[in-house]
Amino acid sequence: MSNRNLINRRYTKWGYIFSIPFFICFLAFNFVPLASTFYYAFCYLKHAGNTNPEFLPLVGKPWYQNFKDVFKAKSFWDAFKNTFFFWIASVVPEWILAFWLAVMMTDRRLKIKGRVIFKTAFFFPKLVAGTALGGSLLIHLISFVGDSIGNVLMASAIDGFGITPEDLEPFMNVRFFIIVVTIFMHFGITFIYVVAGITGIPVETFEAAEIDGANRLQTFFHVTLPSMKPILFFITVIAVVDGVGMIDIPSYFGIYDTLRRNLTLMMYMENQAFLGSYAYDKASAASLVLLAIYIIISGIIYLTLLRDKDEAKLKKLIRQERKAAKEAV
Amino acid sequence: MSDYVNTLTEDKKRTFTLKVITYIVSILLAILILTPFWGMLKEVFGEETIIEPAGGGNFKITHIPREGMMTLKEFCGLFNEYTFIGFGNSVYVTFTSTILNIYISALTAYAITAYEWKMREAFEKFVIVAMMIPGTVASVGIVQWIYKLGLTNKLFVFILLAIASPMNVFFMRMYLKATFSKELVESARLDGAREFRIFNQIILPIMKPAIATQTIFSFVASWSNIWIPRIVLMEGKKRMLPIMGGPPGAQLLICLPPILLYAFLSKHIVEGISLGSVKM
Repeated sequence: MSNRNLINRRYTKWGYIFSIPFFICFLAFNFVPLASTFYYAFCYLKHAGNTNPEFLPLVGKPWYQNFKDVFKAKSFWDAFKNTFFFWIASVVPEWILAFWLAVMMTDRRLKIKGRVIFKTAFFFPKLVAGTALGGSLLIHLISFVGDSIGNVLMASAIDGFGITPEDLEPFMNVRFFIIVVTIFMHFGITFIYVVAGITGIPVETFEAAEIDGANRLQTFFHVTLPSMKPILFFITVIAVVDGVGMIDIPSYFGIYDTLRRNLTLMMYMENQAFLGSYAYDKASAASLVLLAIYIIISGIIYLTLLRDKDEAKLKKLIRQERKAAKEAV
Repeated sequence: MSDYVNTLTEDKKRTFTLKVITYIVSILLAILILTPFWGMLKEVFGEETIIEPAGGGNFKITHIPREGMMTLKEFCGLFNEYTFIGFGNSVYVTFTSTILNIYISALTAYAITAYEWKMREAFEKFVIVAMMIPGTVASVGIVQWIYKLGLTNKLFVFILLAIASPMNVFFMRMYLKATFSKELVESARLDGAREFRIFNQIILPIMKPAIATQTIFSFVASWSNIWIPRIVLMEGKKRMLPIMGGPPGAQLLICLPPILLYAFLSKHIVEGISLGSVKM
């Protein structure tokens, strides 16, 4: 045994060698910009192309000036509310649909065919998303949703299901469109990862559940979900990163709304920094607020999803026992 | 006995209904999702769609159909010289950054899984924390960094920025955790293989499904990335395709590479994190 340990120790240096490229790249190209953003949030740094930050107290202003400016702006709070509204309103239906469909498609008893074709179809919008700001795809997504609503309107005008044009007006709205288009674009990714997670669970687990007489709903909540915890965590992180950082789709609607109904936090930050105002300092402060939001949400997710509660309990017990043993000695 | 048969047939009925519902929902959804692309093609070859604001955050949509078919000359007119320069730039940045990103992510995942080094657990935690903070948060810092070093209009910057991807490392680590076998590596060592060779010739093939999946996602993300390029790429010749807008033919060109790549890799996409392993 000790011989084997010795061999293992001989190779441990390769762990460092293999992880160094990632570590250096991350430090240089991800961490340094983040740290400097942190610094700029406490500096005076305005005007386009200005690369000379001045620390705020040295200019004779309080160090929290930028944060004060951000929190005082009404548009920031609009952006804050919009972001969370869009995020929750798009993630909830998307997840319900993705999980339900993935469970059904991977169910052994249903034997659904053509999973690959459906996966491709669902992922297609994201594949072509490069066009999004070329505009074409988004225009057509929008016009498609709009046309469908129009068709419903027409049908209701002919048959009169008790639907009047006024009932459908709220749907011809920037917010509703943003949510629908976001679901369109994002559904495929969630679906692919959920399918990957479910198919990774050994078939025997489901067989055992079936023999024990669990129905589909029980199987899902007590077998499927707990067994795919790591990938569930991964999907959640993607949903948070993409949802709170939402920018492409809402910014496309900028020209249609003067009342900031489409403004998100990321858009607010971009507007401050690069489009028009060139207030890099204020944008940095907004970035830090965004970062704080990410950290809070991620912390909650980490504690509820990834941390193994039983293992934590076990560790605590072991620690207590050791302490007791020490005291006894 | 008859009771048992009854429940069995009832179960079969329910399964059948569920099956039908699943097919209907997924086919409807596929049609819903694919219809806009039909409109997109129509846009390139004819019909024009206009969206106008109608006050109060609402808007109206009109379609203007075009008369007659498109001639070959008109079709060629959809492209201009900048379309192809932009296409070349995009291909260069996207391919290089995706290859580097995937290789280094796989290498890091292997380092975390295979070796018992001291900082291993701390490093893994670090990757998880880094994963939850998207790079876009630091965009002011990145742009300032580019200005300061005088790297505006340089394409290789976007390759450097895309190399370290904690998300890919986490995903590959998840996959490797399920498929890795220490015996395989040890037997290779006994045969005299060096560590780099073991990684390249034994571990990379094992990770094929994870690599295929993340290649597609990284490629698409890099290909459609316009966030920083839009700000620092000013020179026309240095622009990448997705930020040019430009003639509708460019949009056709933008769609092509991701679709081809997906067609090529889709059969390898992860189906089950613990499947596809070479357990020996």
